[in-house]
Amino acid sequence: MKRLGSEVVGSLFWLAVGVFFAVGGIMLKPGTLRNPGPGLLPLIMSLLLISFSLFVLAKGLIGPEGILKGIQWKSQTVVVASVFLYGLLLNLLGFLLSTFALMFVLYGLFFGGKNKWPRVFFCATATALAGWLVFSVALKVPFPKGWLIVAGR
Amino acid sequence: MDFFADILMGFQTTFQPTNLVYCLVGCLIGTLIGVLPGIGPTGAVSILLPVTFKISPVTSIILLSGIYYGAMYGGSITSILVNVPGEAASVVTCLDGYQMARQGRAGPALGIAAFGSYIAGTLSVIALMFLSYPLSKLALAFGPPEYTALIILGITILTYLAQKSMIKAMMVAAFGFLLAYVGIDMLTGKARFTFGISNLMDGVGILPIAMGLFGVTEVLENLGPSEELSLSRTKLGHLLPSRQDWKDSWKPITRGSFIGFIIGIIPGGNATLASFVSYATEKRCSKHPEKFGHGAIEGVAGPESSNNSAFAGGLVPLFALGIPTSVATALLFAALMMHGVQPGPFLIPEHPDIFWGLVASMYLGNIMLLIINLPLIAMWVQVLRIPQRILIPLILFFCIVGAYADNNSFFDVGVMMFFGVLGYLLKRFDYEPAPLILAFVLGPILEKSMRQSLKISGGDFGIFFSHPISVILLGLAALVLLSNLFFKKQTGLADEKV
Repeated sequence: MKRLGSEVVGSLFWLAVGVFFAVGGIMLKPGTLRNPGPGLLPLIMSLLLISFSLFVLAKGLIGPEGILKGIQWKSQTVVVASVFLYGLLLNLLGFLLSTFALMFVLYGLFFGGKNKWPRVFFCATATALAGWLVFSVALKVPFPKGWLIVAGR
Repeated sequence: MDFFADILMGFQTTFQPTNLVYCLVGCLIGTLIGVLPGIGPTGAVSILLPVTFKISPVTSIILLSGIYYGAMYGGSITSILVNVPGEAASVVTCLDGYQMARQGRAGPALGIAAFGSYIAGTLSVIALMFLSYPLSKLALAFGPPEYTALIILGITILTYLAQKSMIKAMMVAAFGFLLAYVGIDMLTGKARFTFGISNLMDGVGILPIAMGLFGVTEVLENLGPSEELSLSRTKLGHLLPSRQDWKDSWKPITRGSFIGFIIGIIPGGNATLASFVSYATEKRCSKHPEKFGHGAIEGVAGPESSNNSAFAGGLVPLFALGIPTSVATALLFAALMMHGVQPGPFLIPEHPDIFWGLVASMYLGNIMLLIINLPLIAMWVQVLRIPQRILIPLILFFCIVGAYADNNSFFDVGVMMFFGVLGYLLKRFDYEPAPLILAFVLGPILEKSMRQSLKISGGDFGIFFSHPISVILLGLAALVLLSNLFFKKQTGLADEKV
């Protein structure tokens, strides 16, 4: 079986996006040219998107396939997941603790070599404290206090 | 004597202590960002946009602009000393700048880059000052059809300049336009593509999109243990260029200033393109083209001047017509809009303090940058030693806090992460994210002017071809499209990112 190449996969994605917005545009009523409605521009743009992606799709199917550059999933997924987890933790643990946890994971991904974890621990603590001082104390960004902290008092 | 009164007022605005401080802060951050590879001015401006809510529109424009032209100064330091561009507009500076450093002439290279930037920066502000005023009068001749045509031309040129494929850049632009139509329709009040999510009623925010595409994407691209930058071990030596250096450089600096300014004005043109064109021009004008690539000072002086004046050039359409034509000005446009200031032909008459304050701050900022860059060069060399492993997680942290603080909700952080992942995938699949942001900002203007035009003409598309200005603009756009079909363009010109 021929492997799907980057051009085909990419254009199929945009095709789907285009169809989605085109249907949406029609449902929003493009109106008439004399009296353009809210759906006109979305429809025009999605039709453009659809035709461009069909063009790229055709080129990808006929011509030589582009090779997909190495997409690294692993650490990227960890980063994205940890940010969303951070969003959940923020309400539970408050800014200071959850920031420490997030930064611990992030620095952990980047640091290497001997004595990695003590250094990661130090940097994460420093960032969390500095971040708390700058954003929460000085700039007064209203972060959630965290249930655990509030309940503990 | 209106003109002098205006300039005077501009300086009065700039000399207010708050504005002075923010101008300096902008220049410092700009230089820092320019020096650090991995994040460029666009990313920095995106991350700092939320900060500007708390300050006045004049102050925020002064700050954000300082970051942009400051980055043009800082970028050269990294290019010359490490052979890694600090930001995209300093890519060509690597060619001759690094060679000069290897020959022990890092000092003069840094010196001429800073002086060239200073001269170009100042010349271009003068030009901006004299041009925007009459142009904004001309802008009154711009009706809905002209605006429609101008936007189409801008997007066409931007996608034409895309590094890889024009059609792919157009797809990204189309998606940017579509995103702009999420939210309440301004003309009918109808909710579009909101799926009942109340956070989407006002549309997708430009902040999370920009931070995602230019901040988070960079983080995802640079994951994993990184290599340390190897600083060239040569001594900096004398920073002041010699008499011979000046003799070799004054023409490239003058030409570079001019080229940069013109390219900045052209819709879709940007600092990176300006630096490439300037380099090519200098090579062509030189009596010793063979020296280029082996440490010719002209190859540093020209591009480094042109990338500075390109920024001021880009401000011309923004202030005269209210149309951002590059990613840089798109973000400034967004900053103005967030403060409820509507850019357009009436911006200068209605908010003279913003325009003249910015102009005056740019005079001052360029002087500040000269001081920041030359006597303090040793400090920036130290900055280059900050390891990526600390920098990259911090960038992500700033993005998260910035996106959160905007509305104090985690929804925007989620949107930002979505666009971060999208940006990462776009790059992996050989698409460019830059057209998305410009299309997103231009989207509402395009829609309004197009729908108004059609209403005026009673549904006749002929209206776009009956107004002389719009015919010219559309003709140019068609020309650009056709030339893409018939000529193989030179690649690698304009990747505005980083």
